[in-house]
Amino acid sequence: MKIHTLKYMFLSLCAATMFVACDDDDALEMVETTCTDGIMNGTETGVDCGGTSCQPCEDGGGDADGDGDDMMVTPPDFSGTYAQVDFMGRPGINTVLSIPDFKDPYNQAVPSTIAEFYQKDFENRLEGLHDVYAELLGLNPEDVNYQPNILGDILNGPEKDGFTDNPVSAELLTTILANDVLEVAPDLPTTYFNPGTGAPNYEGAIGLTGRTLQDDVIDVSLILLFGGGDGARFNGQEVEGVGTFPRLVSDGVAITAEPTSTFPYLGAPE
Amino acid sequence: MKKTKLLFGMGILAVVGAVLVAADHIDAPGTTGNTADIADFYGFESPSNPENTVFIVDLQTDVLPDLAYGPFDENVLTEINIDTNDDLIEDLVIQAIPRKDTMYFFGPVIPAETGKMSEVMVGSPLGQVAISGESALTTTTEDGISLFAGPRQDAFFFDFGQFNKVIGGTAPEGFLPEGEAVDTFDGANTMALVIEIPNSILGETTAKNALGLTVYKTWVTTNRKQ
Repeated sequence: MKIHTLKYMFLSLCAATMFVACDDDDALEMVETTCTDGIMNGTETGVDCGGTSCQPCEDGGGDADGDGDDMMVTPPDFSGTYAQVDFMGRPGINTVLSIPDFKDPYNQAVPSTIAEFYQKDFENRLEGLHDVYAELLGLNPEDVNYQPNILGDILNGPEKDGFTDNPVSAELLTTILANDVLEVAPDLPTTYFNPGTGAPNYEGAIGLTGRTLQDDVIDVSLILLFGGGDGARFNGQEVEGVGTFPRLVSDGVAITAEPTSTFPYLGAPE
Repeated sequence: MKKTKLLFGMGILAVVGAVLVAADHIDAPGTTGNTADIADFYGFESPSNPENTVFIVDLQTDVLPDLAYGPFDENVLTEINIDTNDDLIEDLVIQAIPRKDTMYFFGPVIPAETGKMSEVMVGSPLGQVAISGESALTTTTEDGISLFAGPRQDAFFFDFGQFNKVIGGTAPEGFLPEGEAVDTFDGANTMALVIEIPNSILGETTAKNALGLTVYKTWVTTNRKQ
Protein backbone atom coordinates (compact mmCIF):
# COMPACT_ATOMS: atom_id res chain seq x y z
CA MET A 1 0.00 0.00 0.00
CA LYS A 2 1.31 3.40 -0.91
CA ILE A 3 2.23 5.63 1.97
CA HIS A 4 -0.09 8.33 0.69
CA THR A 5 -3.06 6.01 0.64
CA LEU A 6 -2.29 4.76 4.08
CA LYS A 7 -1.95 8.29 5.30
CA TYR A 8 -5.34 9.39 4.00
CA MET A 9 -7.02 6.29 5.38
CA PHE A 10 -5.51 7.09 8.72
CA LEU A 11 -6.53 10.71 8.58
CA SER A 12 -10.07 9.67 7.73
CA LEU A 13 -10.13 7.32 10.65
CA CYS A 14 -8.88 10.07 12.91
CA ALA A 15 -11.46 12.50 11.64
CA ALA A 16 -14.25 10.03 12.13
CA THR A 17 -13.13 9.18 15.61
CA MET A 18 -12.88 12.78 16.64
CA PHE A 19 -16.20 13.66 15.02
CA VAL A 20 -18.11 11.32 17.24
CA ALA A 21 -16.16 12.06 20.39
CA CYS A 22 -14.73 15.49 20.01
CA ASP A 23 -15.68 16.51 23.50
CA ASP A 24 -14.03 13.53 25.03
CA ASP A 25 -10.32 13.50 25.83
CA ASP A 26 -10.32 9.73 25.53
CA ALA A 27 -10.84 10.08 21.84
CA LEU A 28 -7.50 11.77 21.45
CA GLU A 29 -5.81 9.01 23.36
CA MET A 30 -7.23 6.51 20.93
CA VAL A 31 -5.27 8.13 18.13
CA GLU A 32 -2.02 6.52 19.05
CA THR A 33 0.91 7.78 17.09
CA THR A 34 4.24 6.04 16.97
CA CYS A 35 7.61 6.70 15.48
CA THR A 36 7.70 3.31 13.76
CA ASP A 37 4.34 3.06 12.00
CA GLY A 38 5.53 4.24 8.61
CA ILE A 39 3.09 7.15 8.66
CA MET A 40 3.60 10.84 9.22
CA ASN A 41 1.35 11.42 12.20
CA GLY A 42 1.25 13.18 15.52
CA THR A 43 3.64 16.10 15.48
CA GLU A 44 6.01 14.36 13.06
CA THR A 45 7.33 16.51 10.23
CA GLY A 46 8.43 13.52 8.13
CA VAL A 47 7.55 9.85 8.14
CA ASP A 48 8.38 8.66 11.66
CA CYS A 49 10.68 11.57 12.31
CA GLY A 50 10.63 15.16 13.52
CA GLY A 51 8.19 16.73 15.94
CA THR A 52 8.24 16.41 19.70
CA SER A 53 8.54 12.66 20.20
CA CYS A 54 10.46 11.13 17.28
CA GLN A 55 14.03 11.33 16.10
CA PRO A 56 14.81 14.37 13.97
CA CYS A 57 14.36 14.03 10.22
CA GLU A 58 17.64 13.57 8.42
CA ASP A 59 17.21 16.51 6.06
CA GLY A 60 16.00 18.65 8.90
CA GLY A 61 12.85 19.75 7.17
CA GLY A 62 10.53 16.80 6.88
CA ASP A 63 7.50 17.86 4.94
CA ALA A 64 7.67 21.34 6.35
CA ASP A 65 6.25 22.93 3.22
CA GLY A 66 3.39 20.46 3.07
CA ASP A 67 3.83 19.63 -0.60
CA GLY A 68 4.41 15.99 0.11
CA ASP A 69 7.54 15.70 -2.00
CA ASP A 70 9.91 15.08 0.86
CA MET A 71 7.83 12.87 3.06
CA MET A 72 10.03 9.85 2.64
CA VAL A 73 12.89 11.26 4.66
CA THR A 74 14.10 8.80 7.26
CA PRO A 75 15.62 9.42 10.65
CA PRO A 76 19.40 9.10 10.85
CA ASP A 77 20.78 6.09 12.66
CA PHE A 78 21.90 6.91 16.19
CA SER A 79 21.81 3.33 17.46
CA GLY A 80 24.53 1.66 19.47
CA THR A 81 26.43 2.28 22.63
CA TYR A 82 29.07 4.94 23.13
CA ALA A 83 31.98 4.61 25.56
CA GLN A 84 33.72 7.52 27.25
CA VAL A 85 36.97 8.68 25.64
CA ASP A 86 37.65 12.07 27.17
CA PHE A 87 36.45 14.06 30.15
CA MET A 88 36.71 17.66 31.32
CA GLY A 89 35.19 19.77 34.05
CA ARG A 90 37.06 22.53 35.84
CA PRO A 91 39.63 24.26 33.63
CA GLY A 92 43.29 24.37 34.49
CA ILE A 93 43.29 21.50 36.96
CA ASN A 94 44.86 18.84 34.84
CA THR A 95 47.11 21.46 33.34
CA VAL A 96 48.81 22.24 36.59
CA LEU A 97 48.28 19.08 38.60
CA SER A 98 48.60 16.29 36.06
CA ILE A 99 51.40 13.81 36.47
CA PRO A 100 53.04 11.48 33.99
CA ASP A 101 50.92 8.52 32.86
CA PHE A 102 48.01 10.23 34.54
CA LYS A 103 45.87 11.76 31.83
CA ASP A 104 44.84 8.70 29.87
CA PRO A 105 43.30 6.93 32.87
CA TYR A 106 42.02 10.26 34.17
CA ASN A 107 40.06 10.78 30.97
CA GLN A 108 38.27 7.53 31.76
CA ALA A 109 37.27 8.71 35.20
CA VAL A 110 33.90 9.97 36.43
CA PRO A 111 33.61 12.92 38.85
CA SER A 112 32.06 10.91 41.66
CA THR A 113 35.23 8.85 42.10
CA ILE A 114 38.00 11.17 40.95
CA ALA A 115 38.79 12.52 44.40
CA GLU A 116 39.02 9.00 45.75
CA PHE A 117 41.54 7.93 43.13
CA TYR A 118 43.50 11.10 42.39
CA GLN A 119 43.38 13.53 45.33
CA LYS A 120 46.58 12.19 46.88
CA ASP A 121 48.39 12.40 43.53
CA PHE A 122 47.28 16.01 43.17
CA GLU A 123 48.48 16.84 46.67
CA ASN A 124 51.85 15.19 46.08
CA ARG A 125 52.15 17.01 42.80
CA LEU A 126 51.41 20.33 44.44
CA GLU A 127 54.03 19.79 47.12
CA GLY A 128 56.46 18.42 44.54
CA LEU A 129 56.22 21.60 42.48
CA HIS A 130 57.09 23.63 45.57
CA ASP A 131 60.10 21.36 46.13
CA VAL A 132 61.35 22.04 42.61
CA TYR A 133 61.54 25.74 43.36
CA ALA A 134 63.04 25.19 46.77
CA GLU A 135 65.89 23.38 45.09
CA LEU A 136 66.29 26.05 42.43
CA LEU A 137 66.50 28.65 45.19
CA GLY A 138 68.93 26.55 47.17
CA LEU A 139 66.46 26.12 50.01
CA ASN A 140 65.43 23.11 52.01
CA PRO A 141 62.33 21.67 50.28
CA GLU A 142 60.82 20.99 53.65
CA ASP A 143 60.76 24.73 54.31
CA VAL A 144 59.04 25.61 51.06
CA ASN A 145 55.69 23.94 51.25
CA TYR A 146 52.27 24.88 49.95
CA GLN A 147 50.75 27.63 52.09
CA PRO A 148 46.99 27.90 52.62
CA ASN A 149 45.56 30.20 49.99
CA ILE A 150 43.22 33.17 49.79
CA LEU A 151 40.15 30.98 49.50
CA GLY A 152 40.49 30.17 53.17
CA ASP A 153 40.34 33.82 54.13
CA ILE A 154 37.42 34.41 51.83
CA LEU A 155 35.48 31.50 53.22
CA ASN A 156 36.43 31.85 56.86
CA GLY A 157 37.80 35.31 57.48
CA PRO A 158 41.45 36.38 57.65
CA GLU A 159 43.93 34.04 59.20
CA LYS A 160 44.99 35.22 62.63
CA ASP A 161 48.73 34.88 62.77
CA GLY A 162 49.66 31.92 64.83
CA PHE A 163 46.23 31.44 66.36
CA THR A 164 43.88 30.17 63.71
CA ASP A 165 44.88 27.72 61.07
CA ASN A 166 43.69 28.62 57.65
CA PRO A 167 41.54 25.61 56.81
CA VAL A 168 42.38 25.33 53.13
CA SER A 169 45.22 22.89 53.48
CA ALA A 170 46.90 21.28 50.49
CA GLU A 171 44.77 18.24 51.18
CA LEU A 172 41.51 20.18 51.30
CA LEU A 173 42.33 22.30 48.27
CA THR A 174 43.23 19.31 46.16
CA THR A 175 40.14 17.49 47.39
CA ILE A 176 37.97 20.39 46.21
CA LEU A 177 39.81 20.61 42.90
CA ALA A 178 39.80 16.87 42.41
CA ASN A 179 36.02 16.87 42.08
CA ASP A 180 36.79 18.48 38.74
CA VAL A 181 33.37 19.79 37.74
CA LEU A 182 32.51 23.25 36.44
CA GLU A 183 29.98 24.92 38.69
CA VAL A 184 27.49 27.15 36.87
CA ALA A 185 24.97 29.25 38.80
CA PRO A 186 21.62 29.58 37.04
CA ASP A 187 20.52 32.67 38.97
CA LEU A 188 23.70 34.72 39.30
CA PRO A 189 26.05 36.55 36.96
CA THR A 190 29.04 34.47 35.98
CA THR A 191 32.34 35.19 37.72
CA TYR A 192 35.02 32.54 37.63
CA PHE A 193 36.79 34.10 40.57
CA ASN A 194 37.34 37.64 41.83
CA PRO A 195 39.16 38.13 45.15
CA GLY A 196 37.49 41.51 45.75
CA THR A 197 39.63 44.03 47.60
CA GLY A 198 42.31 41.44 48.23
CA ALA A 199 44.21 40.71 51.41
CA PRO A 200 43.48 40.72 54.25
CA ASN A 201 39.67 41.06 54.16
CA TYR A 202 38.79 40.29 50.55
CA GLU A 203 35.76 42.57 50.68
CA GLY A 204 33.41 41.79 47.82
CA ALA A 205 35.04 38.51 46.87
CA ILE A 206 32.77 36.65 44.45
CA GLY A 207 32.97 33.80 42.06
CA LEU A 208 32.69 30.10 41.41
CA THR A 209 29.53 30.72 39.37
CA GLY A 210 30.80 29.54 36.01
CA ARG A 211 33.41 30.31 33.39
CA THR A 212 33.23 32.89 30.62
CA LEU A 213 35.42 33.04 27.54
CA GLN A 214 37.34 35.99 28.98
CA ASP A 215 38.14 34.48 32.39
CA ASP A 216 41.86 34.02 33.06
CA VAL A 217 41.49 30.56 34.52
CA ILE A 218 45.20 29.82 34.45
CA ASP A 219 46.07 32.86 36.56
CA VAL A 220 43.33 32.03 39.06
CA SER A 221 44.56 28.43 39.30
CA LEU A 222 48.13 29.58 39.81
CA ILE A 223 47.12 32.08 42.52
CA LEU A 224 45.27 29.38 44.43
CA LEU A 225 48.14 26.92 44.12
CA PHE A 226 51.19 29.18 44.57
CA GLY A 227 49.88 32.52 45.87
CA GLY A 228 49.75 31.60 49.55
CA GLY A 229 47.88 33.70 52.07
CA ASP A 230 48.10 36.99 50.16
CA GLY A 231 47.82 35.62 46.64
CA ALA A 232 51.29 36.82 45.62
CA ARG A 233 53.70 34.57 47.48
CA PHE A 234 55.67 33.55 44.38
CA ASN A 235 55.49 36.68 42.28
CA GLY A 236 59.00 37.37 41.02
CA GLN A 237 59.89 39.49 44.03
CA GLU A 238 63.29 39.93 45.66
CA VAL A 239 63.54 38.30 49.07
CA GLU A 240 66.43 39.38 51.21
CA GLY A 241 68.88 36.62 51.91
CA VAL A 242 67.21 34.22 49.51
CA GLY A 243 67.19 35.77 46.05
CA THR A 244 64.54 36.35 43.44
CA PHE A 245 61.44 34.27 43.87
CA PRO A 246 60.00 32.71 40.71
CA ARG A 247 56.90 34.27 39.15
CA LEU A 248 54.29 31.54 39.55
CA VAL A 249 51.00 33.38 40.14
CA SER A 250 50.44 34.62 36.56
CA ASP A 251 51.51 33.32 33.17
CA GLY A 252 51.64 36.89 31.89
CA VAL A 253 49.20 36.56 28.99
CA ALA A 254 45.70 37.95 28.44
CA ILE A 255 43.12 36.81 25.93
CA THR A 256 44.14 37.19 22.27
CA ALA A 257 41.03 35.64 20.67
CA GLU A 258 38.08 37.92 19.94
CA PRO A 259 34.86 36.63 21.49
CA THR A 260 31.65 38.48 20.69
CA SER A 261 28.74 39.49 22.89
CA THR A 262 26.22 37.71 20.68
CA PHE A 263 25.56 34.04 19.96
CA PRO A 264 27.63 31.93 19.29
CA TYR A 265 30.06 34.18 21.21
CA LEU A 266 33.28 32.67 19.80
CA GLY A 267 35.08 34.62 17.09
CA ALA A 268 35.15 33.52 13.46
CA PRO A 269 37.93 31.03 12.65
CA GLU A 270 41.23 32.56 11.62
CA MET B 1 64.71 17.06 54.10
CA LYS B 2 62.41 14.18 53.46
CA LYS B 3 64.00 11.86 50.98
CA THR B 4 60.71 10.93 49.38
CA LYS B 5 59.82 14.56 48.68
CA LEU B 6 63.19 15.25 47.15
CA LEU B 7 62.91 12.23 44.92
CA PHE B 8 59.48 13.34 43.80
CA GLY B 9 60.81 16.77 42.88
CA MET B 10 63.67 15.30 40.94
CA GLY B 11 61.25 13.01 39.24
CA ILE B 12 59.42 15.99 37.83
CA LEU B 13 62.65 17.40 36.46
CA ALA B 14 63.19 14.20 34.55
CA VAL B 15 59.85 13.99 32.81
CA VAL B 16 59.56 17.23 30.91
CA GLY B 17 58.71 15.43 27.71
CA ALA B 18 55.88 13.50 29.26
CA VAL B 19 54.41 16.57 30.86
CA LEU B 20 54.53 18.46 27.59
CA VAL B 21 51.56 16.54 26.28
CA ALA B 22 49.82 16.09 29.60
CA ALA B 23 48.16 19.48 29.86
CA ASP B 24 44.41 19.72 29.86
CA HIS B 25 43.89 21.78 26.74
CA ILE B 26 46.19 19.68 24.64
CA ASP B 27 45.46 16.51 26.52
CA ALA B 28 46.83 13.07 27.00
CA PRO B 29 48.71 10.85 24.61
CA GLY B 30 45.62 8.70 24.12
CA THR B 31 43.40 11.51 22.90
CA THR B 32 45.79 14.09 21.49
CA GLY B 33 45.09 14.69 17.83
CA ASN B 34 41.99 12.55 18.17
CA THR B 35 38.55 13.61 16.96
CA ALA B 36 37.21 12.96 20.46
CA ASP B 37 39.74 15.25 22.16
CA ILE B 38 38.04 17.84 24.36
CA ALA B 39 39.99 21.10 24.31
CA ASP B 40 37.81 23.20 26.55
CA PHE B 41 34.50 23.67 28.33
CA TYR B 42 32.71 26.90 29.27
CA GLY B 43 29.44 27.58 31.09
CA PHE B 44 28.09 31.07 31.74
CA GLU B 45 25.05 33.25 32.06
CA SER B 46 23.97 34.55 28.67
CA PRO B 47 25.12 38.17 28.18
CA SER B 48 21.85 38.92 26.39
CA ASN B 49 19.40 37.12 28.66
CA PRO B 50 20.09 36.35 32.35
CA GLU B 51 17.42 33.64 32.22
CA ASN B 52 19.59 31.61 29.84
CA THR B 53 22.76 29.57 30.36
CA VAL B 54 25.37 29.11 27.63
CA PHE B 55 27.51 25.99 27.30
CA ILE B 56 30.48 25.85 24.92
CA VAL B 57 32.45 22.69 24.17
CA ASP B 58 35.63 23.01 22.10
CA LEU B 59 36.94 19.89 20.41
CA GLN B 60 40.22 19.27 18.57
CA THR B 61 42.20 22.48 18.88
CA ASP B 62 44.82 22.94 16.15
CA VAL B 63 47.24 24.80 18.39
CA LEU B 64 50.09 22.50 17.47
CA PRO B 65 50.70 21.33 13.90
CA ASP B 66 50.14 17.67 14.68
CA LEU B 67 46.87 18.21 16.50
CA ALA B 68 43.56 17.62 14.76
CA TYR B 69 41.14 20.27 13.61
CA GLY B 70 37.79 19.17 12.29
CA PRO B 71 35.59 17.88 10.90
CA PHE B 72 33.20 16.52 13.50
CA ASP B 73 33.24 12.72 13.81
CA GLU B 74 29.94 10.85 13.34
CA ASN B 75 31.13 8.17 15.75
CA VAL B 76 31.72 10.64 18.58
CA LEU B 77 28.88 11.59 20.91
CA THR B 78 29.55 14.73 22.94
CA GLU B 79 27.70 14.88 26.24
CA ILE B 80 27.24 17.78 28.66
CA ASN B 81 26.56 16.21 32.05
CA ILE B 82 24.58 18.09 34.69
CA ASP B 83 24.40 17.13 38.37
CA THR B 84 21.52 18.81 40.19
CA ASN B 85 21.64 17.05 43.58
CA ASP B 86 25.33 17.28 44.51
CA ASP B 87 26.29 13.61 44.22
CA LEU B 88 28.56 14.24 41.20
CA ILE B 89 26.51 11.78 39.14
CA GLU B 90 24.78 13.18 36.10
CA ASP B 91 21.04 13.74 36.52
CA LEU B 92 20.60 15.28 33.08
CA VAL B 93 22.52 15.13 29.84
CA ILE B 94 22.55 17.30 26.74
CA GLN B 95 23.95 15.39 23.78
CA ALA B 96 25.32 16.41 20.39
CA ILE B 97 26.21 14.13 17.48
CA PRO B 98 26.72 14.92 13.79
CA ARG B 99 25.19 13.27 10.73
CA LYS B 100 26.30 14.52 7.32
CA ASP B 101 26.06 18.32 7.39
CA THR B 102 23.90 18.58 10.50
CA MET B 103 24.57 18.53 14.25
CA TYR B 104 21.73 16.92 16.21
CA PHE B 105 21.11 17.82 19.84
CA PHE B 106 19.15 15.78 22.42
CA GLY B 107 17.98 16.44 26.00
CA PRO B 108 18.14 17.77 28.60
CA VAL B 109 17.03 14.31 29.66
CA ILE B 110 17.72 11.74 32.35
CA PRO B 111 20.29 9.47 30.69
CA ALA B 112 19.58 5.81 30.04
CA GLU B 113 22.77 5.02 31.89
CA THR B 114 25.11 7.09 34.07
CA GLY B 115 28.87 6.77 34.06
CA LYS B 116 31.10 5.82 31.16
CA MET B 117 28.58 4.26 28.76
CA SER B 118 25.98 6.26 26.87
CA GLU B 119 23.36 5.92 24.22
CA VAL B 120 21.81 8.64 22.12
CA MET B 121 18.55 9.73 23.72
CA VAL B 122 16.63 9.77 20.44
CA GLY B 123 13.29 10.10 22.22
CA SER B 124 14.26 13.55 23.53
CA PRO B 125 15.21 15.64 20.51
CA LEU B 126 16.27 19.16 21.39
CA GLY B 127 17.01 20.59 17.97
CA GLN B 128 19.44 20.55 15.12
CA VAL B 129 21.63 23.00 13.27
CA ALA B 130 23.55 22.97 10.00
CA ILE B 131 27.28 22.60 10.66
CA SER B 132 28.92 25.93 9.86
CA GLY B 133 31.84 26.77 7.66
CA GLU B 134 33.66 30.05 8.21
CA SER B 135 30.42 31.97 8.69
CA ALA B 136 28.31 31.04 11.67
CA LEU B 137 25.02 29.29 10.90
CA THR B 138 22.82 29.32 13.97
CA THR B 139 19.28 28.29 14.77
CA THR B 140 16.86 29.02 17.58
CA THR B 141 14.19 26.45 18.38
CA GLU B 142 10.58 27.15 19.32
CA ASP B 143 11.63 26.63 22.94
CA GLY B 144 14.15 29.45 22.74
CA ILE B 145 17.24 27.25 22.53
CA SER B 146 20.03 28.57 20.29
CA LEU B 147 22.42 26.11 18.65
CA PHE B 148 25.73 26.30 16.80
CA ALA B 149 28.29 23.75 15.58
CA GLY B 150 31.41 24.52 13.59
CA PRO B 151 34.92 25.95 13.52
CA ARG B 152 35.63 28.99 15.71
CA GLN B 153 38.56 30.72 17.34
CA ASP B 154 40.09 28.90 20.28
CA ALA B 155 39.52 31.41 23.08
CA PHE B 156 41.88 29.74 25.56
CA PHE B 157 45.01 31.72 26.42
CA PHE B 158 48.12 30.41 28.13
CA ASP B 159 51.89 30.60 27.80
CA PHE B 160 52.16 26.86 27.37
CA GLY B 161 55.80 26.90 26.28
CA GLN B 162 56.94 28.68 29.43
CA PHE B 163 54.65 26.48 31.53
CA ASN B 164 56.54 23.42 30.37
CA LYS B 165 59.82 25.04 31.40
CA VAL B 166 58.35 26.01 34.76
CA ILE B 167 57.00 22.58 35.42
CA GLY B 168 60.20 20.99 34.19
CA GLY B 169 62.29 23.01 36.63
CA THR B 170 64.28 24.77 33.91
CA ALA B 171 62.87 28.26 34.45
CA PRO B 172 64.19 29.67 37.74
CA GLU B 173 62.38 32.93 36.96
CA GLY B 174 59.03 31.16 36.60
CA PHE B 175 56.61 32.64 34.08
CA LEU B 176 57.58 35.62 31.96
CA PRO B 177 56.29 39.12 32.66
CA GLU B 178 53.51 40.72 30.66
CA GLY B 179 54.84 41.73 27.29
CA GLU B 180 57.41 38.97 27.13
CA ALA B 181 55.04 36.09 27.68
CA VAL B 182 53.50 34.46 24.59
CA ASP B 183 49.95 33.15 24.19
CA THR B 184 50.55 29.75 22.63
CA PHE B 185 46.91 29.61 21.54
CA ASP B 186 46.92 32.89 19.61
CA GLY B 187 45.59 32.11 16.14
CA ALA B 188 44.40 28.59 17.00
CA ASN B 189 41.00 27.32 15.93
CA THR B 190 38.79 24.61 17.34
CA MET B 191 35.61 22.73 16.48
CA ALA B 192 32.98 24.28 18.73
CA LEU B 193 29.54 23.28 19.96
CA VAL B 194 27.54 26.15 21.46
CA ILE B 195 24.14 25.88 23.11
CA GLU B 196 22.18 28.63 24.83
CA ILE B 197 19.29 27.24 26.82
CA PRO B 198 16.65 28.75 29.13
CA ASN B 199 17.24 27.77 32.76
CA SER B 200 13.57 26.81 32.94
CA ILE B 201 14.36 23.90 30.59
CA LEU B 202 17.41 22.86 32.59
CA GLY B 203 15.22 22.71 35.69
CA GLU B 204 15.91 23.16 39.38
CA THR B 205 19.14 22.32 41.14
CA THR B 206 19.93 21.88 44.82
CA ALA B 207 23.70 21.54 44.38
CA LYS B 208 25.89 24.14 46.12
CA ASN B 209 29.39 25.39 45.47
CA ALA B 210 32.06 26.12 48.09
CA LEU B 211 30.55 29.56 48.73
CA GLY B 212 27.10 28.08 49.33
CA LEU B 213 25.69 29.34 46.03
CA THR B 214 23.21 27.25 44.08
CA VAL B 215 24.86 25.81 40.97
CA TYR B 216 24.62 23.18 38.31
CA LYS B 217 27.67 20.93 38.57
CA THR B 218 28.66 20.25 35.00
CA TRP B 219 31.26 18.40 32.97
CA VAL B 220 31.63 17.27 29.41
CA THR B 221 32.56 13.89 27.99
CA THR B 222 33.18 12.55 24.52
CA ASN B 223 32.08 9.02 23.83
CA ARG B 224 33.00 6.83 20.88
CA LYS B 225 30.62 4.37 19.24
CA GLN B 226 31.52 0.79 20.11
